[in-house]
Amino acid sequence: MSAVAAKPTAGSAMNPTAMAVGVVLLLILLGIAYYVYPAGLIPLLLIIVGGVLIGFGVHFVPVGGAPAAMGQAPGIATGVAMLAAGGGLAGLFGGAWAAAAGQDALVVVITGGIGGGLMMAITCMMVNFVYVFGMGIPAASGKVAKDPITGDTQAEYKSQGTEGHGLPFISFVGGVIGGLFAGAGGTLIYLELLNVYQAALPAVMGITAAQVMPIAVSAAGMFAVGLFLVNAVLTAYNITGTIEGPHDPKFKRWPRSVVASAVASALCGLVAILIVAM
Amino acid sequence: MTVKVEVIEGGIPHNKIMIAGIVSTLVCLYLTYLNVLTSTEMFSFFGGLAVVAALLWGSHTIKVLCSYGIGTGVPSAGMIAFGSGVIAMLLATKFGILAPIVAAVLAAVIGFILGYVSNNILNMKIPTMVQSLTEMAVVGALTLMGFAALMTGGFTFAGLTTGHVTSLGMVLLTHQQSFLGGCLIAVAFLLGAIAIQHPFNACLGPGWKQDRMLMLTAECGFLSMLVAAVMSFALISTGSAIISLVIAIIGWAYTYKEYMVMSKRDAAAWLDAKPIPDVEGH
Repeated sequence: MSAVAAKPTAGSAMNPTAMAVGVVLLLILLGIAYYVYPAGLIPLLLIIVGGVLIGFGVHFVPVGGAPAAMGQAPGIATGVAMLAAGGGLAGLFGGAWAAAAGQDALVVVITGGIGGGLMMAITCMMVNFVYVFGMGIPAASGKVAKDPITGDTQAEYKSQGTEGHGLPFISFVGGVIGGLFAGAGGTLIYLELLNVYQAALPAVMGITAAQVMPIAVSAAGMFAVGLFLVNAVLTAYNITGTIEGPHDPKFKRWPRSVVASAVASALCGLVAILIVAM
Repeated sequence: MTVKVEVIEGGIPHNKIMIAGIVSTLVCLYLTYLNVLTSTEMFSFFGGLAVVAALLWGSHTIKVLCSYGIGTGVPSAGMIAFGSGVIAMLLATKFGILAPIVAAVLAAVIGFILGYVSNNILNMKIPTMVQSLTEMAVVGALTLMGFAALMTGGFTFAGLTTGHVTSLGMVLLTHQQSFLGGCLIAVAFLLGAIAIQHPFNACLGPGWKQDRMLMLTAECGFLSMLVAAVMSFALISTGSAIISLVIAIIGWAYTYKEYMVMSKRDAAAWLDAKPIPDVEGH
C-alpha cells in the first residue's frame, strides 16, 4: 500500500471488551480514591464529568486540518488538539477569573463555558472571513445535502473534487457548542482541584491559607491544562483527522470517547488529588 | 490495522536510544543532587542536560509513533506527553530523593493506561501505541523535572514551592516566587512540549535522516535550556545561573552549527542567498 493510501483505518467499530475493561478500570480508580482520600471522591467524580464534557464537546468542533487550509475540506484549518486547546483554555481563563472574583461554582462553570464558546465563535467567524474574502471560496458541506439548521442546499456551491470547503452554518454552530462544553469541562476540573488544594494544602505544607493561594492556583491550573490536553488528544485519536461538526458521520463515535475520557480523567484526577493525601 | 507509512532505515535502533535516554536523564537529574551535598547551586545545569537527553529520546519515540499516520498531527503527541507527564511529575516531587525514579514509574503507569485506552477503547490499533505513549509520558515527566532542577536547583516539593525574597537586607521566605507558585512550570511545560514535537515535524518526509533529526532535537533542547537558564536568575544564585546560561549557549551554538551542516549535506542543492542583496548602480 502506498503512503498516500495509508490513511488511518480506525473505523467506527466499538470494542465491547475494551469498553467493559474501561468501565471496570474507572470503578477501580474511584475505589482507590475512596480508600486513600475519602474527601476527594466527590471532586474526582466532578473531574470525571469535566473530562467527559471535554471529550464529548470536542466532537462538535469543525476540524479541517491541512485539507481545509487548501480549501479542499470544510472546517477550521488546524488539528483537533490545537483547536480544543485554544477553545478550552480560553474558557479556563474565563472560569478562573470568575473563581477569583468569588462567584459560586455554577456561575464559574457557566462563565468558563461562555469563554470557550466565545473563543470558538470568534475563531469560526474570522476563519469564514478568510475563506470568503481571502481565498474566494463559498461555504459548503460535503457530508450532507442540506444544512440541518437552515435547510440551504449545499451541492451547488461545492467544487468538484473537494469534500466541501469553508465553514457552513451547521459547523459554525457546532464549533460554538463544542467550545461551550469544552470550556465548561475545563473550568469544572480547575475549580474542583482548586477547592481540594485550598482545603488540604495548608495542613500538608504547614502554612497559612493565604500563603498557599499561589501554589494552589498554579497547581490546579497546571493540572487542569494537563488533563485538558490529555482529553483533547484522546478525542483527536477518536476522530482521526477531520470532522465537519455534529452532522458528520464520525460524530457517532462519541460513546468511545466518553468512556476513554472518563478513564483518563479518573486516572489523572486521582494522581492530582493524591498530592494532598501523600 | 494501519499501515506503516515510513520505515526506519539504518541509524541507531530505537531501543538503544530509549535505554540511553532514560539512563542519562536519570543520571543527570541525580547529579543535580550534588547541590544538596555541597550546599551550592552550581550543579543546577545538569537539569538542563537531563532535559536535552530526555528530549532526544522523546523525539525519536514520536518518530516511531507518528510513522503510522495517526491522523492527528505530530504536535498532539507532544501535548499528550506533557499533559500526562506534568501530573506524574508533580506527585513524584513529594518523594524527596526518590523523585526522579518515582516520576518515571508513575508516568509509565499513566502512559500505559492511556495507551491501552487509545489503542483498544478508541480502536486505534497501532502496534507501538502502548509502548510509545508509555515512553512519552516518562519523557514528559522527566523533562519537566529537569527544568525544575535547572531553575530551582532541586526537585523536591518543598524546593519547588518555596523561594526567597530579599527585602531591606532581610531574607524572607515566600511561596509566590517559586517554580510552582510563580507558575514557571507553565513556561517549562510549553518549552518542553514544543521542543519535543518540533524536530520530527520539521524533518519528516522521504528525506528523513536520524542524525539530522536528533541534532535538531538537541538544538531545540539547548534553546529551551537557554530560556530556562535566563528564568533561573530569579530563583538561584547569579553565579550558578550564569554557569547554566553559558553551557546552554555553547551547546546551542554547537548543535545549531552541526544541524546546518547536516541540512546542507542532505539537501539536493542549496544557494547561500544573502538576506538583502547588494544592488549596484543606484
